Amino acid sequence: MAVDQLSTTFAALADPTRRAILARLAEGEATVNQLAEPFPITVQAVSKHLKVLERAGLIMRGRSAQLRPSRLHGEALKEAADWLARYRRFWEDRFDRLDEHLRELQRRPGDA
Amino acid sequence: MPETATAQVITITRILDAPRELVWRAWTEPEQLARWWGTRGWSTPPERITMEVRPGGSFRLTSVCDEDGRTMATEAVYLEVVEPERLSFSEAPREDCHEGAVGTVSLTALGDGRTEMVFHSTIQTTGELGGNAQAGLERAFDRLAEHLS
Repeated sequence: MAVDQLSTTFAALADPTRRAILARLAEGEATVNQLAEPFPITVQAVSKHLKVLERAGLIMRGRSAQLRPSRLHGEALKEAADWLARYRRFWEDRFDRLDEHLRELQRRPGDA
Repeated sequence: MPETATAQVITITRILDAPRELVWRAWTEPEQLARWWGTRGWSTPPERITMEVRPGGSFRLTSVCDEDGRTMATEAVYLEVVEPERLSFSEAPREDCHEGAVGTVSLTALGDGRTEMVFHSTIQTTGELGGNAQAGLERAFDRLAEHLS
């Protein structure tokens, strides 16, 4: 279940317009019309993006039928970020060793 | 849910206190790579590393767990080889980890004997595989924590 959620989150994050929408929502909640303003796409298209983001658990939308302001929901974003952080640490760990190895190599140049 | 692969990107920048030629060798010579490749607790013997450092050449290695001898194979193909500044390789899908990844290493000599290394990785994951990778890495870190305590 958690795995499917992560996949949906990553799929939602793969789109640059949706990332831009999230960046806008990081500043505070906004209605569909407000969100559509900076983009060269229709309100309907933004609305579709919002549905994807909502399904991915990345945003929450108000109940008021007319405005339904959207706001960021941090949990899903955090899970996705955590996954990437682990992958990053995997490499960081290697590069720590690379750094150590290169230092050692230069302390004992004859060994190079 | 459709089995869509999505790409995740990570970028890691390191300033290494070594000339660029040395960093290049660390990435392209088996004896050198063996000294640093792999998570702590795992070794990668030089005789288990194959490096045909040219575009289309194969980059294969097997890491061995120091504790229980388990092995983990990495299979990749070099895409771009521009000595001594850029190396990119495409990692084959790994059952326990991801749907394939493309790693690019860019090296810039800083002119004071140090080298800036930028590692960029684009990872394809499906939900299920991503989850397995997560579980696998979590286990690895649990083991690491146990090992250190």
